[in-house]
Amino acid sequence: MKLFRRARRVPDYDARSSDAELLSAIGAGAADALEILHRRHAPWLGARLRYRCADPDVVDAALQDAFLSIWRNARTFTPRTADGDAAAWIWTIAIRQLVSALRRRGNKWIGDAALESYEPVGDASAEDLVLVGIEHGPLGAALNNLSPELRLAIQATILDGLTVREAAQLLGVPEGTVKTRVMRAKARLREQLT
Amino acid sequence: MTAWHLTRQQLDDYADGRLDHAMAMSAEAHILDCPRCRAGVPADPAWIRAGWAELRDVVDRPRASLLERLLTRIGVHEAAARLLVATPMLYRAWLLAMVVVLGMALATAYNVNGGTLMFFSLAPVLPLVGVALAYGRWVDPAHEFTSVTPMAGQRLLFLRSLAVLVPAFALCLVTALLLPGHGPGWAPVAWLLPALSLVTGSLLLSRWVPLIMATGLTGTVWTGALVSTVLHHESRFAAAYLFTPPAQALYAVLLAALGTACIAARARRA
Repeated sequence: MKLFRRARRVPDYDARSSDAELLSAIGAGAADALEILHRRHAPWLGARLRYRCADPDVVDAALQDAFLSIWRNARTFTPRTADGDAAAWIWTIAIRQLVSALRRRGNKWIGDAALESYEPVGDASAEDLVLVGIEHGPLGAALNNLSPELRLAIQATILDGLTVREAAQLLGVPEGTVKTRVMRAKARLREQLT
Repeated sequence: MTAWHLTRQQLDDYADGRLDHAMAMSAEAHILDCPRCRAGVPADPAWIRAGWAELRDVVDRPRASLLERLLTRIGVHEAAARLLVATPMLYRAWLLAMVVVLGMALATAYNVNGGTLMFFSLAPVLPLVGVALAYGRWVDPAHEFTSVTPMAGQRLLFLRSLAVLVPAFALCLVTALLLPGHGPGWAPVAWLLPALSLVTGSLLLSRWVPLIMATGLTGTVWTGALVSTVLHHESRFAAAYLFTPPAQALYAVLLAALGTACIAARARRA
């Protein structure tokens, strides 16, 4: 058994390798490649997760679980872009780990249903494009004027690409509430922009 | 790809959670697409180091083998499962020797008249040899280390014996099934009760004498019984008497008695 495992070639990599190259090395069992990936992505992942959860311990635990999941599933990554950037893939894993970390922590009433596949409420890519340039436009002011509940619902379903069920777990409210909040938030935004 | 980038100030504010909501959303959407700004998000180096140290602990752990995961799944404690899986590796030479001996016994059984009996006389002793090599100062090069672990003593002995007995019994059984067929349908397992009795007897004796001596004693008892039967009946086929139904019943009683004694001794100690 050990013979076969050792015979698998680890692709070359260094600190400047693309995410895709690092991930294929990780898939072949290179722990050093995971360290490079961790150093590269942990800072922004940590910052972004902290915007979703106020408890730093839960954020750290979710981040650890996310990198462990990457370690085990590195081979399932298929690069979408030419530069082999894996940020979006890694973020999907991290936010889902945060959702299940919050669920584990005692929100037992939510139930143990497995995470579902992608089913975003809105078309994430199109709205991402809008979000990239909002900071000075009217949309920025409109977003800042939203009540926190409505804004968090928008953030979870559109920006983070979570399913309604996952968003419900992250926010700690029933699924139906998430749906109505997203609808109300969109209506409010439309009102303010027209 | 967008033409603009986040400023140093914006990145610092983002990492500290000070950006307003619209700005934070915008920064997040940008960061996901822009490796340059992503690399610019500041983080505490000590936090990164601590996170990686924790990860490495898990990542460096060797992956559990299939058998080990199976054992853990059916409720065996993690440490015990690792031990059970690793033990046959320690006695690879013995396993190899066992395969050779059984192969030769098989060859004899097919070529020599009465060769089958030779296998049956041998089969109860082979697992015993494995048990003898399972634990003790003289046979285990790492005995000094294992003797100071919390598992050392009877518990380790029982676990290792179990790890040795499973492959030993499996090999013996396969050989017995390959033997030229004579006798009643239960003939292939005729050696099982004597073998189990010998092993249980050795484990019980090992409370008072070193294991290697205990297995030597029980092995001698078996050989003595074999030799005396053959001498008494003045025929080398007389060994078959040791496997007749009355003898089997005797072994069953013996095994039950020894097993009870073993359990009682354990319970009294605990």
